[in-house]
Amino acid sequence: MPKCTIDGKEVEFSPGENLVKVAKRAGVEIPVFCYHPGLSVVAQCRMCYVEVEKMPKLQTACSTMAVEGMVVKTQSEAVKKGRAGTMEFLLLNHPLDCPICDKAGECDLQDNSYGHGGAYMRHSEERRTYVDVDMGPVIQKNMNRCIHCTRCIRFGDEVAGIHEMVAIQRGNNIDITTIDGKQLKTEYAGNYSDICPTGSLTLKDFRFKKRAWMLKKTPTICEGCSKGCNMEVQHEGNVVYRCVPRENLEINQYWMCDEGRFNYRYTQDESRVLVPMKKSGGSWLVSEWDSVLSELRADLSAKEVVCLVGSDLTNEEMSAIRETMGTIAKSAKLMSFGTPGIGTASQDGPADTILKMKSKTANLNGAEKAGFAPVTGAVRAEVVVVFRGGRAELPKIEASRVYGAGVFLERDRGALTAILPGLSFLEKDGTIVNHQGKEQRLQKAITPRGRCKSTGEMLMLLLNQKAVSA
Amino acid sequence: MSAETQTLFVQHFWNDSNRTLDYYVKRMNGYESAKKVIATMTPDQVIEEVKKANIRGRGGAGFPMGMKWGFIPKNSEKPKYLVCNADESEPGTCKDRQIIRYTPHLLIEGLIIGSYAIGCHHSYVYIRGEYVREAELLNAAIEEAYKNGYLGKNVFGSGFDLDITVHRGAGAYICGEETGLLNSLEGKRGEPRVKPPFPAVSGAFSCPTAVNNVESIANVPHIIRLGGEEFAKLGKIDKSGGTRLISLSGHVNKPGVYEALAGSMTVRQIIEDFGGGVWKGKRLKAVIPGGSSSPVLTADEIDVVYDVEPLMKIGTMMGSAAVMVIDEDTDMVKLLLRITKFYAHESCGQCTPCREGCHWMESILHKILHGEAKPSDIDLLVDVAGNIGGKTLCALGDAAAMPVQSFVKKFRSEFEAYVKGQKSHA
Repeated sequence: MPKCTIDGKEVEFSPGENLVKVAKRAGVEIPVFCYHPGLSVVAQCRMCYVEVEKMPKLQTACSTMAVEGMVVKTQSEAVKKGRAGTMEFLLLNHPLDCPICDKAGECDLQDNSYGHGGAYMRHSEERRTYVDVDMGPVIQKNMNRCIHCTRCIRFGDEVAGIHEMVAIQRGNNIDITTIDGKQLKTEYAGNYSDICPTGSLTLKDFRFKKRAWMLKKTPTICEGCSKGCNMEVQHEGNVVYRCVPRENLEINQYWMCDEGRFNYRYTQDESRVLVPMKKSGGSWLVSEWDSVLSELRADLSAKEVVCLVGSDLTNEEMSAIRETMGTIAKSAKLMSFGTPGIGTASQDGPADTILKMKSKTANLNGAEKAGFAPVTGAVRAEVVVVFRGGRAELPKIEASRVYGAGVFLERDRGALTAILPGLSFLEKDGTIVNHQGKEQRLQKAITPRGRCKSTGEMLMLLLNQKAVSA
Repeated sequence: MSAETQTLFVQHFWNDSNRTLDYYVKRMNGYESAKKVIATMTPDQVIEEVKKANIRGRGGAGFPMGMKWGFIPKNSEKPKYLVCNADESEPGTCKDRQIIRYTPHLLIEGLIIGSYAIGCHHSYVYIRGEYVREAELLNAAIEEAYKNGYLGKNVFGSGFDLDITVHRGAGAYICGEETGLLNSLEGKRGEPRVKPPFPAVSGAFSCPTAVNNVESIANVPHIIRLGGEEFAKLGKIDKSGGTRLISLSGHVNKPGVYEALAGSMTVRQIIEDFGGGVWKGKRLKAVIPGGSSSPVLTADEIDVVYDVEPLMKIGTMMGSAAVMVIDEDTDMVKLLLRITKFYAHESCGQCTPCREGCHWMESILHKILHGEAKPSDIDLLVDVAGNIGGKTLCALGDAAAMPVQSFVKKFRSEFEAYVKGQKSHA
């Protein structure tokens, strides 16, 4: 591999790599705004200046490819002055409203200002201001904070495949906005907020809810479809505030869709069933674990039992269900359900040209590998037990007794006669297999609320026949 | 003008009847060079001839033209484009307009030869939006050429095809920057691109492209007619062949477009011999030698030979050869504000230093002129210019910074007079 020198350290690189990437490997962080590894290089923020030997002017590291024997300095006086100059220019018209800005604490502009900017302001003229357009339900715009990096424009054009963000006017009056001030149409709008290096595009959903530095971050996998996008759950005090994508170049690169991003909301829905319940005389009554479990135990000896396993469950849950049923309900028929019409991996496929898959459950591949036959049409039996995460769509069920174990909102209770409240994907550990066959790990971010129990615990109680106090 | 001076262009200017194909063919050996090239020369021979001619690009950067054509990859399977930059947007420059007005066929013939040399079959002329009449005249000339079989399929019956399209700009300075021009030509915002890749590799529609100034291309038929070596000899200085069209404006008695053998005159001679001296019997204060972006010269510095290298040696540039003469009564602060206002207005807004800095410099100058500035604001102005110059994506940042730096350096007392309250804005 060819080598170059960055700040006196020799680094190997593969041809075509730019200096930002190469420097990062040498442990040298070069400040950037407009550069994003998932977007084209425009070199217009002028923050990533470096000094390259034998080149008279400062070079932008994002647009300079490493060359064999290149000697790069990232900390010279000229570089420092150049970066400080750019920082000063960027802050001339920035409102410096960090105390009320949702981006504060995770803002590139803030970080780079502390790292590379001057301490004093030499500008005393009035600041440039804009009138903002409504960008729709996902994104809140604040153009006064914008530093014109055009990441949003490029994201739309190059990743989301939609030309909706544009620059209008020019020079000092340049405005980054939507075409004709229309609302955003893309189903990937949340990414605009992630890539915005300042608080110009923020999530409406997250607005004024939490300071970024108070959030705890748990890496996990999105359960929105079989793509398996890597994401991070950000939460505090057992409340989830937002989910953001994590980089995984083999799966989702740097992005995720809005459906997946906001999917977590159902886990905090007020109508989620958090206690054991039984239907009695047409109305739902709060019950006890003991009572519902013993009824289920008795019903499992019926002649005709079907056990429905959601393809939104983890591999571990699936195998526990199989083993338990094999012990206490040998005649039970095990079937999987998830997305109507997409029962097997071969029926699955991309739902758009970006990330979304047709299967709206995450572990379709796992369910297929576990050997569950997919449900087709209505399910008829004497007793039906449904194990479900929260995403799998319930099939039509015709049975006298239907037990639901897992996550159900009030609107999902239609076909059920009893509910054993379980854990959502945010409340448990486990593995799931995405459409490529990659096994990935869900990680518990928050503790279960109410009297919910894990699938494993439920099954154990079912086997042990002991009284439950919880 | 001395008797030995030879000109290639100006003798055909200022007469409306000269722009016809008839005049061009009869009086200027019209299209003979193109015919000769296509019939007898290989593309490489043409490029070699242009290299021998030592012709520097006439747009502003002064890059050797033959070398530029030589960069176009020969084995690329993509179409190649020759784009003529007729945006002529540097303040003070008006030479290309004369060529298009009075000798449009010279430009068309140059495009035919250039296209043949680089293997282009569709050439574009990007003409500035304000040149409405010129665009009409050029289109009329192109139509004449098509009718006579000089353009279109099978040029001169040789089997070589060439179409020329005139594309009108919308009046942006930045579209005179070659990559900004290419973006505009493609229907995008007129914003310069990151280089590399250079247009020779990926230019118009991501294909290999040569972008040349009107005057550069209009010189090509002369190069073929005279031969590269003869053309080079016209230049009276190393590395610069042919003649230069000079746009002389400002406080002179006879402003206009003049032509001189490259490197044959000093700035003083241009002002005195061509311009008839400073107007109204006044004394000279300063000269902007190469369009409004070039660093200003004081009256003491004008005995410099007017060509690329001598001017570079004294810290300024020839640019687009637009000489602006400034008399003793001119307020340099006001003049600099006017220039800076232009660049702030024309900044595309893409890259940070130019977008923010040009406007800031304008604000500081405005404060200085209106007596609202502190003494330290003069140094602030120079420092801001230093943070722009050499740090931007394209040359507009340099163009905005150079006048500020040179004006303050050479006429600092005028700025101080305002700041100290010794002078006030009328």
